[in-house]
Amino acid sequence: MSTLSEQGGVIYSRLIAREGDESTYELFIGPQHPASGHMRFIVRLEGDVIVSVDPDIGYVHRTMEKLAEGREVIKSIPLLERMTIIDSHNVTLGLVRAIEKLLDVEPPPRARYLRTLLSEINRIASHLYGMGIAGIMLNHSTMFMWAFGDREVWLQLAEELTGARLTHTYSIPGGVRRDLPQGFADKAEKAVRYMERRLKDYMAVFFENPQVRARYEGVGVLKKSEASRLGIVGPNLRASGIKYDARLAEDYAAYSELEFEVPTHEEGDAMARMLVRIEEIKQSMNIIRQILRKIPDGSILADKYVRLLPPPLREQVAKTGRVKFPGIFATLKLPEGDAVSRVEMGHGEIFYHVTGNGSTKPYRLRVVTPSFRNVILFRYLAPGHRFMDFPAIYGSLDYFPPEADR
Amino acid sequence: MDVAGVLPWVLRLLLSPQVFAPVVFPGLATALVVLLTVIWAERKIAARVQMRVGPLYVTRRLGGVLQMLADGTRYMFQEFIIPVTADRVPFLFAPILALTLAIIPFAFIPSAPGFSPIKSPYSLPAALAAISAIPLSVLLMGWASNNKFAIQGAVREAFMGLAYEAVVFISALSMGVLYGTLDLEEAVARQWLPGIVLNPVAAFTFFVGMVMSAGRLPFDIVEGEQEIVAGPFVEYSGIIFGIGMGLAYLKLYSLSLLYTLLFLSGWEPLVAPLYSVYPGIAGIFLFVKAYLLMLFVAFLRSVYGRYRLDQALRAGWRVFLPLSLISLLISVVVKVVGCV
Repeated sequence: MSTLSEQGGVIYSRLIAREGDESTYELFIGPQHPASGHMRFIVRLEGDVIVSVDPDIGYVHRTMEKLAEGREVIKSIPLLERMTIIDSHNVTLGLVRAIEKLLDVEPPPRARYLRTLLSEINRIASHLYGMGIAGIMLNHSTMFMWAFGDREVWLQLAEELTGARLTHTYSIPGGVRRDLPQGFADKAEKAVRYMERRLKDYMAVFFENPQVRARYEGVGVLKKSEASRLGIVGPNLRASGIKYDARLAEDYAAYSELEFEVPTHEEGDAMARMLVRIEEIKQSMNIIRQILRKIPDGSILADKYVRLLPPPLREQVAKTGRVKFPGIFATLKLPEGDAVSRVEMGHGEIFYHVTGNGSTKPYRLRVVTPSFRNVILFRYLAPGHRFMDFPAIYGSLDYFPPEADR
Repeated sequence: MDVAGVLPWVLRLLLSPQVFAPVVFPGLATALVVLLTVIWAERKIAARVQMRVGPLYVTRRLGGVLQMLADGTRYMFQEFIIPVTADRVPFLFAPILALTLAIIPFAFIPSAPGFSPIKSPYSLPAALAAISAIPLSVLLMGWASNNKFAIQGAVREAFMGLAYEAVVFISALSMGVLYGTLDLEEAVARQWLPGIVLNPVAAFTFFVGMVMSAGRLPFDIVEGEQEIVAGPFVEYSGIIFGIGMGLAYLKLYSLSLLYTLLFLSGWEPLVAPLYSVYPGIAGIFLFVKAYLLMLFVAFLRSVYGRYRLDQALRAGWRVFLPLSLISLLISVVVKVVGCV
């Protein structure tokens, strides 16, 4: 087996070596299938036991990075937020950070706090989406409906803040697009209290349900060493006992000024992955409360750009709290050089590498998304389990196909 | 026979137990109504729990009750596609066979004392035998479809079928021992207390077996949508898919009737005025109890997800089979002590 496992320098999982065996039964799941998402899995079975899973990605969109290289850098924000439309602020925050590093501009403190606020709202919504999908994969339609219904609360908060339900395009180089609306703090507090109550219901109906526990406990165990070897990110990594979070590792937005914990679990099974998400929702709500208490006053756009506005417009921006882009934003010239940034999304860490060459368009723009790093898990976690465990593992990974396709 | 005599003759034929019971009540016509309303009620119950609106598109004032009829009509007029690779004859024959087998139990289920189409001292095993033959036709459906997902579903049906049938049969047998008869009508007559009180273990195991056999949550493993799309019915479309879908509900209906007769003292307490008008409609109590039971089974959807196949099988063989054997023992003890 050991000779087979490293053919041609490629590491195959233990059971894939039996590929092509006559006794295996091949099932092509997707790209149109109730549980595949927009992707295909080539699943090989021996009886009811999975022998290997090949995830086949690329059915949603392609060449997003290349498309971003063909347009002005500011236009890549609304383009790239389509990758993870359920988490659209977190996914572009990394890009904005990278551009800011290239342009050498820092957002003012209030803008940093506002970014953090929307990031956390997005994180909660993203986790709820993942939990709902995980619920329906066990055919637990109540969890699905509850999570998607409660997600609406957070989407409305985000809409209140940014004016858009899903594609917020909130962060711009040097600041954010809008200031905090009036009465937002009360609404957010109400949402947080509602969610705290609902999390108890989730525990009662879903997580403490013997049927759900039977499906999740001990299923798809990801060992600590395996998780670090495969380069897994996000809650899936933390459920295996590794305390890594880009919010701690990289100083971005206002995270260094806020107090929060990074929950971890040791078991590494599907149940642990789900519970980590629940605890992260609690932490996010904690962060939202802190932000609303501590948010400093001041401008929401860097002075460097505010000064470019004509005086009447500058007054209007200060008064209404809505940024009218100065003309320069359409043709921001990226100076020569490279910038990298990493940001923690709901699914895990996203990594950006932007290269400028003095033109308005980025010379190179590369993204490594969390789902692209986690997709490898299908290959390693599913073999050896029953076929019916496959959706349970899929759901617990919170894998989002459009994000892996870039 | 003159013309005037034909009408009363037809009426007498229609109202005779041999025709009325299987065709009108509690048989086919009622089963169709139950099929439509239970699916509607299931959606309504789930909607209440899950904060959904529920079916309201058709007849909002009646709570969307006609939605099911609309769905049925759509199924009726949808083209049904027979894949080229499928085995045509069994592919078409299997759903018809399944429907026939699902209807046969009504021939043995009495709806009032002395009012059953076929009066037999073995009506309980006969009804159960017909129900437990349905999985064969489902297997045939999956096999004839010649689709990998369908075959997986068919294999699951075979596994599940074996697991629950033993449980259902032994629990029913233990009630037979308790009452000293295998005749459903006699069984009702001998319940001075409802059977669920006399032997609660048998009632529990029969209930679980019933949920398993009807493929309701948490045991709707056969048509596991998330893994194998629609299981054995994946290649079916139009009205023959509708048959496949309604099959589970028909099974649930006849099993609920059996459960009511065995454990919930059937039509007792009998509504005497109704019985004197026409014996056929005296089974209303029976029907109401069975219907409430079905609603409870439908409610389980809002609480549970789906068990894994091996977990369900383990539960069937290691937990419910021994439990049903214990229920047999309890029945013997109760019989010996002389409570019945």
